[in-house]
Formats: sequence, C-alpha cells, structure tokens
Amino acid sequence: MIDFAQNTLDGVMAGSSYALLALGFTLIFGVMRRLNLSFGPSIMVGAYLGTFLYVQYGAPSLVVALVAVAGAALAGIYVERLCFAPMAAGAGVASMVSSFAIWMQLEQAAILILPRHTYAFPPLSTAAPLALGPLLVRPDHLIVLACTAVLTAAISVLIYRTRYGLGLRAIINDTVAAHLVGVDVKKSLIVAFALASAIGGVAGYLVLAVDQQVTPMFGMWATIKGLIAMMIGGLGSIPGAVVGGLVLGIVEMHSQWHFGPQIRDLVAYGLLFACLVLRPGGLFGAPPAGETMIEK
Amino acid sequence: MLDVADLVTAYGKIEALKGVSLHVGKGQITCLLGPNGAGKTTLMMTIAGILKPRRGSIRLEGTELVGLSPARIVANGVALVPENRLVFPQMDVRENLLAGAYQRRDKREIAADVERMYARFPHLAERRDQLAGTLSGGEQQMLAVARALMSRPRLLLMDEPSLGLAPLVVAEIFRIIAELNRDGTSVFLVEQNAHMALQVAHHFYLVEQGRVTFDGSPGALAEDEVIQRAYLGTRRTGA
Repeated sequence: MIDFAQNTLDGVMAGSSYALLALGFTLIFGVMRRLNLSFGPSIMVGAYLGTFLYVQYGAPSLVVALVAVAGAALAGIYVERLCFAPMAAGAGVASMVSSFAIWMQLEQAAILILPRHTYAFPPLSTAAPLALGPLLVRPDHLIVLACTAVLTAAISVLIYRTRYGLGLRAIINDTVAAHLVGVDVKKSLIVAFALASAIGGVAGYLVLAVDQQVTPMFGMWATIKGLIAMMIGGLGSIPGAVVGGLVLGIVEMHSQWHFGPQIRDLVAYGLLFACLVLRPGGLFGAPPAGETMIEK
Repeated sequence: MLDVADLVTAYGKIEALKGVSLHVGKGQITCLLGPNGAGKTTLMMTIAGILKPRRGSIRLEGTELVGLSPARIVANGVALVPENRLVFPQMDVRENLLAGAYQRRDKREIAADVERMYARFPHLAERRDQLAGTLSGGEQQMLAVARALMSRPRLLLMDEPSLGLAPLVVAEIFRIIAELNRDGTSVFLVEQNAHMALQVAHHFYLVEQGRVTFDGSPGALAEDEVIQRAYLGTRRTGA
C-alpha cells in the first residue's frame, strides 16, 4: 500500500514535468493546428547553451536556467519562421515534415556545441528527501511541481483573461475573422510560438536539473513525452495537457516498479495506443475528425 | 469617403478584379450588385487588406490603404462584416464583441459599447453568455454586424448580409443598416437582393466579370432594362 502511494507520488512528480512539456506542445497545436516535431529539439538547444556556460565557465544555476529558457524561445521562433510561417494555412503535413528536418538540424547543432555524449547539468537542489509520513519526496521534485502549477495558472490567465489571449482565441476560432477585427495574426503567432517554447525551456531546465545530466537524446525524449501527454489529454486543451502529463507519469512509475524500465516505455506507448483507439480526441479534446492534419 | 482606383486583384494568373474604380460617398449607403463570381467578395477582402491587390489604389479620405495590414485598416476606421458572417464559434457573444474592439484600448468605453450593442440588438443581450456557434443564422449575422461596429468604424463594409436568411430577418438587417447610416456611418454593401437594396441605398454599382458595368442612382438602376431583367426579375412589369 505504501509502495503504491509512493509510486503514485513519484508519478505525479515525474508527470508534472511531462505536463509542462505537453502545455507548450498543446499551445502550439491549439493555435496552429499543426504538429511541431521540433518542439523538443528547440528545448535542447536552450539546454545545451545553458550546459555549455555551466561546463565551460561554471555559470550559476540561475544563469543556466535563464539561458535555457531564452535559448528555447529563440529556437522556437526560428522554427516558426522556417517551418510554419512560410507554409499556407492548413499545410499540416508540409510543416510537420519540415519541422522534422529542423529537428535533425538542431540535434546536430547541439552536438557541435558539446560533442561528448553526456554532460553534467547543475542540480536544482541537493537537499535530502523530505518525509511525508511514510512517504519520501525529493525537494527538487516539489520545485518542479510548483513551477508546473504556477505556469499552468499563468497560461490560463493569459489565454482567458487578457487582450492577447482574446486575440489568440480569435485566431484559433477563425483566422480570417481575427484579421478582420484587427488582430495582428503574424505577431500573435510568433509570440505564441516563443511562449510555448519558453515553457518547454522551463520544463527542459527542470528535468535536466533533476537528472543532473544532458545528452543529445534529450530533444527526442522531450518531443515524445510531450506528444504522448498531449495526445492522452486532448489536442489543444490546457487541462488536458496537465491531466495527460500526470496520467503518463503515474502509469510510468507504476509500470517501472512492477516490470522495470524497458517495459515502462512499452506501457507508455500502450497507453497512448489505447487512448487513440478509445478516445481519439484525448480525454479533454473533441475528436479531431481528420481536420488536424489534412484540412480541406 | 472611399475611392477605389484601377484595382486589380488576382488569384495566381486569374484576375478576379480587372481594374475596378468606384467611389463610396461619405454618409451614404453605396450598394454593389453583381452575379456570383463577379469579384464582389474579392473587392471587399481587398479593401479590408486580407487580399493584396496587384495594382491600383484604395483611399480612405485621402489615406492610402493598399499595403496596410488588416489590423491597420481596422484602426483607420474600416470594418468588414464578411460573407458567411465568420463569428468566432467557440467564443461567447460577449467575447465576440470584445474581439471586435481588439484595436481599441479604452476599456471603459469598450464596456459601454458592449452595452450599447445589447440595447441595439436585444437578441444578443439575451444570449450574451452563449457560444456564438450555437446562435441561429440571423443572430450570427446580428453578432457579426455588432462585432464590426465595436471597432467604431467610419466606413462599414458588408458582404451579402442577407445571404441565407429568412425574409423577416433580412428586413431587420436592412432596418439596422438604414439606422446605422442615419447615425453617420458610411456603408458599402454587397447585395444580391436588389429589391431590399433599392429601399436603402443612395448609389449603385454593378460589377460583372471583374469590371464595373453600371454606375448610377437608384432611379437609374430601376430604369435600366438589363438590370431589371437580371436583378429585379419580372416583379416591376408584372405589378
């Protein structure tokens, strides 16, 4: 029973970073109705820049964090300008494929910055685990959980309570009509992309600071975890991203405990598969009805 | 108010507007008639800045609009009620109205304008918290008009506001158009329903295959034999 509770707690902790990744992913998908496969690699560019400063110059954690977030946001803008802005609206497949090409490019760029396979990443906190009754929780995990809660609330306020969010939702509803009421669509999309990538950057920084190491596989890892969490929760849904991330984290921790790390990923993909079959739109989203990838 | 000169807008190699020139008088209702595919919607979308013309000019009281973004054009005082309304379906009525005021920053005045819209369109007031996508066609048209008015336009463009609506609703729309015009808004209207348009418009243009083929007063329009046959049907001769 205590094992079950501890696994669930660990799952929530791991899941909160997935939720953050899914939040960034879903923001881009919700606005553009297109899949940005370069989401994870953009995060990795920021993380590598941060690591570079840490390894070469011993930069403090705060600098590493800021560079990781800013680098991810800039890489996100780069991807938007290259893969999404030039493609006509609805060209979902073209921008997805080009975002895959940029994925490869960014991954190679990261390897050029830091050619070895593994580098140290500054830890978030080295304090001893806290005891919650019989359960243990790592302080750095609590920081991740708090960041996820704060960022999710902030994004919800931004989208539902501000002028910028009103414009963004107008674009999501009808892009032509958004132009007609005076929304600067181009600018709003760049900001949304940068914002989503910055959220990803925060997630990336937190995950790496918990793991205390970074490898070139991180970009792929972030894309896949974020994608699965988003698909489980529902495409383009903020609560869906959070719930999807937490569900994924909890399921992973339990399956790792019972079956080991190899089976853990298998179970995660199985969960995605089951979700796609039973609820194609995800837990919170409407069924995509084919309009997600192929429009008109 | 608005002077369009030698406007050419093309989709690839196909020119939808082949050098359109026309004038919308200040304080007037100007109506554009024409068959499907004549370029009416293309003209409206070009004025609103959604489509970029290949050449020509669009001047609003002397200010060149060609080359400005749609947002700048709205800020200059031009609002389009688009064909098929294009309300924001997943946003409620109030949010649709607020989105219409996107270019404005005066929060208090915006809130006051929302109340004015509710007073002018009582149906919208009843449905203020309802998602726009769940409204009837007529209500969506009212919302599209109200949303456009939220930017406080000097010139209101309307692309077939009567399309697909019941006669009673069409009459209501035209009553509102006349009312807005009395309050000082210039209106440039695309309409297939020439009978309704004849009751409110001060000036008419006919556009066919991307060119203006008639330019005249309501009286001249009613006298024109070709237009009578094509747009007014047999009602005049039959009556």
